Amino acid sequence: MLMTRKSIAAGALLAVGLLTTGCSTSSDTPTASATTAAPDTTATSTLTVWVDAERADALAQAATDYEAQTGISVDIVARDNSTLKDDFIQQASSGSGPDVVMGAHDWLGELTTNGVVAPLELGDKATDFLPVALDASTYDGTVYELPYAVENLAMLRNADLVPEPAANFDDMIAKGTAAGVEFPFVVEQGENGNPYHLYPFQTAFGAPVFGRDAAGSYDSTQLTLGDGTGFAEWLATQGSAGANTMSTEITGDIAKEKFTTGQAAFWLTGPWNVKAAVDAGISVAVDAIPSPGSEPAQPFAGVKGFFVNQYSQNKVAANDFLVNYLGTVDVQVALFNSGGVLPALTAAADAVSSDPIIAGFKAAGLDAVPMPAIPAMGRVWEFWGIAEAGILNGAEPDATWAQLTSDVRTAIDGS
Amino acid sequence: MTDLQGAPTRSPGVGALVAKISVLGGLDAIAVFLAAVLVGRGDYTVAALVVVGAIILTVIYLSERLLPAKYIAPGLVFLAIFQVFVIGYTVYIAFTNYSTGHILTQDQAVEALLSQSQSRLPDSPSYPLTVVESGTQLGFLVTAPNGTALLGTEESPLKPVDASFANGQAVAVDGYTSLRFADILGRQDEVSSLAVPLSDSAADGSLRTLDGRTAYEYTSSLSFDSTTGVLTDTTTGESYRDGGEGSFVGEDGTEILPGWQVNVGLDNFARAVSEPSIRGPLVYVTAWTIAFATLSVGIIFALGLLMALLFNDPSMRGRTAYRIVMVLPYAFPAFLGAMVWSGMLSQSFGFINQVVLGGASIPWLTDPTLAKVSVLMVNLWLGFPYMFLVATGALQAIPGEVREAARMDGTSRLQMLRHIELPLLLISMAPILIATFAFNFNNFNVIYLVTGGGPRDTGAGIPVGHTDILISLVYKVAFTGQNRDYGLASAFSILIFIVVAVISVISFRRTKTLEEIN
Amino acid sequence: MSAPNRTAARLDPPGRRRRSKPHVLRHIAALVLSSYALLPLLYVVSASLNPTGTLTGSNRLFRVVGLDSYRRLLASDQFPFLTWFKNSLIIGVTTAVLSVFLGALAAYAFSRMRFRGRRTGLLTIVLVQMFPQLLAVVAIFLLLSRIGELVPAIGLNTQAGLISVYLGAALGVNTYLMYGYFNTVPTEIDEAARVDGAGHLRIFFTIILRLVAPILAVVGLLSFITSMNDFVIASVVLIDPERQTLAVGLYRMVSNPNYADWSAFAAGAVMASVPVVALFLFLQKYIVGGLTAGSTK
Repeated sequence: MLMTRKSIAAGALLAVGLLTTGCSTSSDTPTASATTAAPDTTATSTLTVWVDAERADALAQAATDYEAQTGISVDIVARDNSTLKDDFIQQASSGSGPDVVMGAHDWLGELTTNGVVAPLELGDKATDFLPVALDASTYDGTVYELPYAVENLAMLRNADLVPEPAANFDDMIAKGTAAGVEFPFVVEQGENGNPYHLYPFQTAFGAPVFGRDAAGSYDSTQLTLGDGTGFAEWLATQGSAGANTMSTEITGDIAKEKFTTGQAAFWLTGPWNVKAAVDAGISVAVDAIPSPGSEPAQPFAGVKGFFVNQYSQNKVAANDFLVNYLGTVDVQVALFNSGGVLPALTAAADAVSSDPIIAGFKAAGLDAVPMPAIPAMGRVWEFWGIAEAGILNGAEPDATWAQLTSDVRTAIDGS
Repeated sequence: MTDLQGAPTRSPGVGALVAKISVLGGLDAIAVFLAAVLVGRGDYTVAALVVVGAIILTVIYLSERLLPAKYIAPGLVFLAIFQVFVIGYTVYIAFTNYSTGHILTQDQAVEALLSQSQSRLPDSPSYPLTVVESGTQLGFLVTAPNGTALLGTEESPLKPVDASFANGQAVAVDGYTSLRFADILGRQDEVSSLAVPLSDSAADGSLRTLDGRTAYEYTSSLSFDSTTGVLTDTTTGESYRDGGEGSFVGEDGTEILPGWQVNVGLDNFARAVSEPSIRGPLVYVTAWTIAFATLSVGIIFALGLLMALLFNDPSMRGRTAYRIVMVLPYAFPAFLGAMVWSGMLSQSFGFINQVVLGGASIPWLTDPTLAKVSVLMVNLWLGFPYMFLVATGALQAIPGEVREAARMDGTSRLQMLRHIELPLLLISMAPILIATFAFNFNNFNVIYLVTGGGPRDTGAGIPVGHTDILISLVYKVAFTGQNRDYGLASAFSILIFIVVAVISVISFRRTKTLEEIN
Repeated sequence: MSAPNRTAARLDPPGRRRRSKPHVLRHIAALVLSSYALLPLLYVVSASLNPTGTLTGSNRLFRVVGLDSYRRLLASDQFPFLTWFKNSLIIGVTTAVLSVFLGALAAYAFSRMRFRGRRTGLLTIVLVQMFPQLLAVVAIFLLLSRIGELVPAIGLNTQAGLISVYLGAALGVNTYLMYGYFNTVPTEIDEAARVDGAGHLRIFFTIILRLVAPILAVVGLLSFITSMNDFVIASVVLIDPERQTLAVGLYRMVSNPNYADWSAFAAGAVMASVPVVALFLFLQKYIVGGLTAGSTK
């Protein structure tokens, strides 16, 4: 009786097999078929722009205004910040990707290596941007990004606790301690460290990550990170075995909680956290970062901007929207008004600098250099934070730093 | 067990038959339509599959015999299209070099390289531009810095012309129609790819526009010969050829990216088993992965079952309230729970040490052993509501009479649980337990969100940690820094799948014996 | 023993109160387990009530209590929260109902019929789901964008497309769960119905389905929760904010740690858990209330 329905399951499984083969065969040439799909003969004047969820609002108005001016409608799509870049890289060439994507300048290495972004031409406007913004938007001598905002760290101070800015790092700790709060100073770390937030202190000891070649591009063969033993030794004195001014136990949330509840006098953080502190009723002052070493403490600059998809069918409209519209003072000021981050266009940046908080961040980032966008930088991050976290938790600084340098060099050479 | 379809199937009523035929007819009509569209697009394989799929479905439902297939087919269609496709795609990717720098087709890579190699001539002027058209040929009418008008097309280099001006910009010329910006928008590809030579010598560069409003002088440092497939650097004279591994390679072996996707055979599998960075920690990571998955299943099952039994007794007061509480962790997004736990377990600031344990300083996440305990504890929290629900459902299947009879025999509660309820439960739940094991074997999220794999094993050359499981190790190896090696990751996941599948199949064999004894 | 009697005996007879024990130990155990279950959620509730709340910073729970975040979320122009809510319910309920239906059909065949490849088939559908979902997002995107070129109604950015993807998991471990339960329904019941002249369809729909209600309810609840909580697939499939689900929308609020609005997110998560609890309450009587006694009479 069990045999009456032979081969039914076999038939069903065969169907599965066939469908599968079909589907995977069809995937063999997804990109090819997408590009050979019906040529774009009709006027499609809709630009699809992917943006970070938190900037979508700021851009919605700009999009409406642009459409009113040119008749090109702009579809602003808010995407997950965490998957935006990988999604764009995977989808850009499929024909279903966006025309324009918003991102950070340090994506450039990855975007150009994958060949998914098209060069821009800023023309005479190039010099209208802050030098750091233009520098960051240029990769291998070519501009790929229309810069829109510049972000860098600065020292937030609770002006009710400490009325005067600190002269240097030790002065800051002394002032914070004198204020009688639990934490004179907080900075976001975490179990795996956070080298972005410690970088200003590292530059105070004169050790950037990479040197630059003759053309001004970061050069992965010049690993200057290794000069940071002075910084490593200083870091050890600030860790759990020393003054304990910084701890891997302080995560971003804890730092935020301590400062916004008045339990911390100084907070090294970026413009994104100012609103939370002001909303919590803290009297916030923004200072340059006090240096613990002989050189100024300079943070990394991160430049937010827009990229054009290399495989966009709307490149003319996309370039027009970016260069001739988003690159104008009025629009950059308007974007600032709803976003609150320093505009990348010099005239716009000056226009909004009457705000003391913005002026503070601008001053703190005066000599900031762009975070390296070269692929080798990716290799640095994975080891860098771990090494710093180790030093903060009592590891021997010189040996740890030497290990870091050799690990990074091996990883860069091996890739 | 009865063989239901062994008896002759009753003939369906006329109405049912009509309904069946019209549904199948509709389905087949759609299939034929899709196949026609697909053939029109040149997708013959997919078209054939649609037809074959439709034929199979029609045969199944028209036949008097294929009864089980009638019941299984609806779900199977979705399974075949969506689940099996993902597997098929992963297998396909495992045989390619799909990774950072190799995501395009070769044509796209050439396009990207040529586009990236355009550079504006230093100190060259910008030209206000009017795009013009003669016949179907586009041309650039530009205004030179000295105010004269120049005209050129793809074939004819830029030459002075008499043009009419508006606001100091040449806007129209005899014999050509000037395009408005709106017209340009309809022909964006043509306009952006148009290069008007500056002179008869190609080396002088050409005029291009990106925004349709201004043109600039460019030279290209690369040229591509599509017949020979050779890419030449015009500044150095170096030539690059397809190196066979999805990129152009120069004579001295330098590779230029972006490259493209190619089939690499078993390379990824070979790398997966020989990758030195993964071989070192492989043994203990595998051991921990198996331990993690096994212990997770064990404690999740134990707690879920305990709760199900506890709240299954009608005489227990407040059981509805308790049940809701037990389901709550499942009603919140899992990543939220994992993150909150991670914060609560912080050594100096966490709720567990500070409040629950009154100021203790236990390194929950930074001690290798405690971190493992913590991960298991969080995983238990994330998983027990599921097991509680499943066990509650399964408990309903135990005939009340069995318990009643046992109770009359004077069996104690514990004995009943051990000798009657548990064995019966295990039969229906064993597959769930095996599936839970498989799920936890690849439970990347909980590891990633709670410890990130840490605390780190400082001895290893890659950032591997003491709580890393195989799948999170694969992420760290295949997705390091800016590099995304999907090919390698796919090969790894296939190997991991084989391990999980073998363990599962062996376990299922055991369950089968269990079931047949019963 | 006749089939109807057997079924009736599966119930806990109402009169059979066990020797009434105070269950002190049980309540202690239940309370301990409840606090374990609730502790992290208290954090979430506390953060939702504090307009500037974070998820991990503070150990002083309920330091600030206010409904600002809830109001902010419900009134937000940027986040169409109620639309997401509606979308999630539609997608969740549709997925749950169809998954249960497709799974029950298959489980019926596997449990009641004997055919070659039955065990292999059962094993295969579970094994398929064990495959690491590493490239799922890329594959689903490619598949749906291609399907969308042919049939836009189930392509990218459609809820029908997303539901179809979820239904790909309708067969799988849930089928196994139902299969195990179907097996405990005595075949004498089918026999009796067949003697009465019922066809297989009628036996399935009018008899079996009622007898296995507890497991249908469990599987329905599980599918509902899974689709409510998924954001990985949903965030790639659904592009327009008005089409997105709660999980996608809420996750977007916190995906950039620098700008994460944890308080609004927590408020959203608290509200999003209400339908799950409500559905559980609704289904509870089917899950544990046992079978309706008259089902086979």
